Formats: sequence, C-alpha cells, structure tokens
Amino acid sequence: MNIVPMTVPDTLEGAVILSIVDFFLSIVLIYGISFVLMLFPYLNKLGSISDESLKGGH
Amino acid sequence: MIEQFLGLLVSLLDQTGLLSITAGNILMMFVGAVLIWLALTKKYEPFLLLGIGFACIVSNVPGSDLTAPGGLFYYAFRGVELVIIPPLIFLGVGAMTDFGPMISRPSLMVLGAGAHAGIFIAIVLAKMTGMFTIAEAGAIGIIGGADGPMAIFVTMKLAPHLLPQIAVAAYSYMALMPLIQPPVMRLLTSKAERSIMMTQVRPVTRLERIVFPFVIAIIVNLLLPPVAPLITMLMLGNMLREVLMVERLANTAANEIMNIITITLTVAVGSTMAADRFLTFTTLVIVGLGLIAFLGGTASGVLTAKFMNLFLKEKINPLLGSAGIASVPIAARVAHVVALKENPYNFLIMHAMGPNLAGVFGTAISGGIMLALLGVK
Repeated sequence: MNIVPMTVPDTLEGAVILSIVDFFLSIVLIYGISFVLMLFPYLNKLGSISDESLKGGH
Repeated sequence: MIEQFLGLLVSLLDQTGLLSITAGNILMMFVGAVLIWLALTKKYEPFLLLGIGFACIVSNVPGSDLTAPGGLFYYAFRGVELVIIPPLIFLGVGAMTDFGPMISRPSLMVLGAGAHAGIFIAIVLAKMTGMFTIAEAGAIGIIGGADGPMAIFVTMKLAPHLLPQIAVAAYSYMALMPLIQPPVMRLLTSKAERSIMMTQVRPVTRLERIVFPFVIAIIVNLLLPPVAPLITMLMLGNMLREVLMVERLANTAANEIMNIITITLTVAVGSTMAADRFLTFTTLVIVGLGLIAFLGGTASGVLTAKFMNLFLKEKINPLLGSAGIASVPIAARVAHVVALKENPYNFLIMHAMGPNLAGVFGTAISGGIMLALLGVK
C-alpha cells in the first residue's frame, strides 16, 4: 500500500473533511492529555516538595 | 487680497484631515465610542475594549499618520503581524494562571474540546458562502476558539490579509461573552441542570504543579509543532509561577510584560478598524460567521456536558460545558454567574476554571491540527 501525505482540498468537501478530522482528533488528543494528568497523583508517591523549601529565591 | 487669504486658508485646510473625513470614518468612530461605552458603563472587559475603542476612533481621523507605515500604531501592528505579541501574551497568561482546577479533575478537559465545534461549523459555513478559500475559512473559524492570541497566530499563518477583521471579531466577542453566552446556556439547560452543585476537587500538590508545564510543553512540541510557540510560552510562564523561587520573573511576566503587551495589542487591533478597510461586505460576513462560531461553541460545550451526564453517576453541571470556550476567565465567570442566578450558594467558578483552561489547549490543538492538515508549518 503506497500512502502519500496530502493536504485537504480547497473545496466544500475539503472543509467538511477538515472539520470532522480536526474535531475528532482534538477530542482524542485532549483525552490523551487528560489521561496523562490522571496519572499525576502517582507522582506524589515519588516524593513531595514543600512551598517553604522553594521560597526565598529572587 | 481676499483671494490670497482664502487660498492660504484652503492650503491650511488641506494639511488637516477635515476635507477628507467620510461618512465611513464617522460610522467607525461611533463604533469605537460604543466599545468604550460598553467598557465604562457595562464594565465589559475594559482591559480590551478601551484600547480597541480608542485606537478605532483615532485611526478613523483622517490626516493622522499614526497608522501609516512608520507611524506609532503601525509598529504596534507589526508586533502582531510578526507574531511577536501573541507568544508574549501567553507568557503572561501562563504566569497568571493556576492550572490546579484542570489538573485536579482532568475528566472535564474533554469539555475544552467539545466546546470547539463552533470553529468547524463556521469553517463549513464560510466555505459554503463561496467567498473564501479553505485557509481563509479556517482562520475565520478559529474565532470560535475565543482565544485572541491563538486567533491572531493562526490567521497570520493562514490568511494574514484577514487579520484586522478576525482580530476585531475575536476580541470584541470575547469581551461581549456575558451578553452572548447566557441565552444559549439557558435555552439548552433546565433549571434543575443549572442548579447542579459540583463536589469539591482534590488538592493539587506543588510537585504536580511543577511537573505539569514540562509535560505539556513536551507533548505539544512533539505532536503539534505548528502551535508550539504559543503553548511553550504559556508553559514557560506557568513554570516560572509554580516553582515559587523566581517570584520576580513570574511577577514581571504576569504584570509588567502583560500590561505593556495588552496596551500594544489592543491599540494594534483597534488601529486596523479604519473605515476604508473595515467597512466592507467581507467584514460583515466574517463578523457574522464569528458570532455563529461563538454561539455554536457555547451550544456544543453545553451539549457535550449533557452527553457526558448520560454516562456519569455523579452529574456535572452542564454550564461547565460553555466554559470550555477558551476565553479565560471570562467564560468561567459567565458560567458561575448564570449558576448563581439559579442557586445563590452554587459557586461554580473554580470548577468552571478546569474546562475553561482546557479550552486553551482545545483551541491550540484544533488550530495546530488545522495548520497541519492545511500543510502550514
């Protein structure tokens, strides 16, 4: 199978394709980022940082 | 003698703009005055509307060189055209923003994507008019993301000649969100739904807050290089804020830089509202499509939340869906105010900040994918 990269055509069909692909891909990507953030509570098992230890810079 | 006197008077008049003023100029000055009135009396986003309104009035006074090449407002606009100003805005936004509400309840992030269907409705409608290329339609659609810097960034990549209309539409609608959103929110929700109270979110630790900007910067640079400049600066500002030990840098980004750039940006946007360029049928269509994008985004956000409630045991207040539009914190504030009207004890603002912040990423991701699909780097 020879897959050639292409851009969306400048037609109404192209606009519809762009919209559908963009909308669903953005949901997938946002959901992926939210999944990464759901793992954040596990970071706290690695250790903790207190605000007092950070303050006192410039 | 009298002829000489009159001749001198005419030459003097020629030096001024009095003989060049048109009905279009007067109309646009009135538009600028309305924006200032909205800011001063209704308190609609004075930080945006005062600068835009003032520059709109001044740029429609003929005879002034402020907006001509080499003029002061011209250089302000060059900062926008060269895409210097939008990343600096995001630096300040990142330094001012507490992403805790988004980190603590990541499940609501999907509202930040659901609320962007308005972008795509506007793209299709723009193409259906037959007046715009797909790149121009994409730039018009991004108005619906309600993110000024992102709208400018995407427009400069896709259709720089439409920047004046798109920037004015985006910033004006952002400022008018308290007017635009509530009717749509009330139409699509019942009183019972608007009264749903949300449970307390979990506290977010300092470690999570520090790791967050690094993780997001890596993900966006890896997957969406076209919008990396904006999100990277957003995360840089946020990192400066969250590490606590460079308070001076964070404060400078959040205050001095942000204030200077806000003045420059609003003046730049307002200065593009000169009657000869702005009062065209294309502008009218773009402004109309921008409104449809905003309304569509509000509706799709609310409907996304209602769809999620079909599967959730613990229901979410669907007003949070409308906060998924990127305009931070305006959209969150609107959701909070509408909820308060139903239940004076329902403080939605911190819950609404989660989807509102997610909307920033939603617009960036939508814009980045659009640029990638249209072959723009």
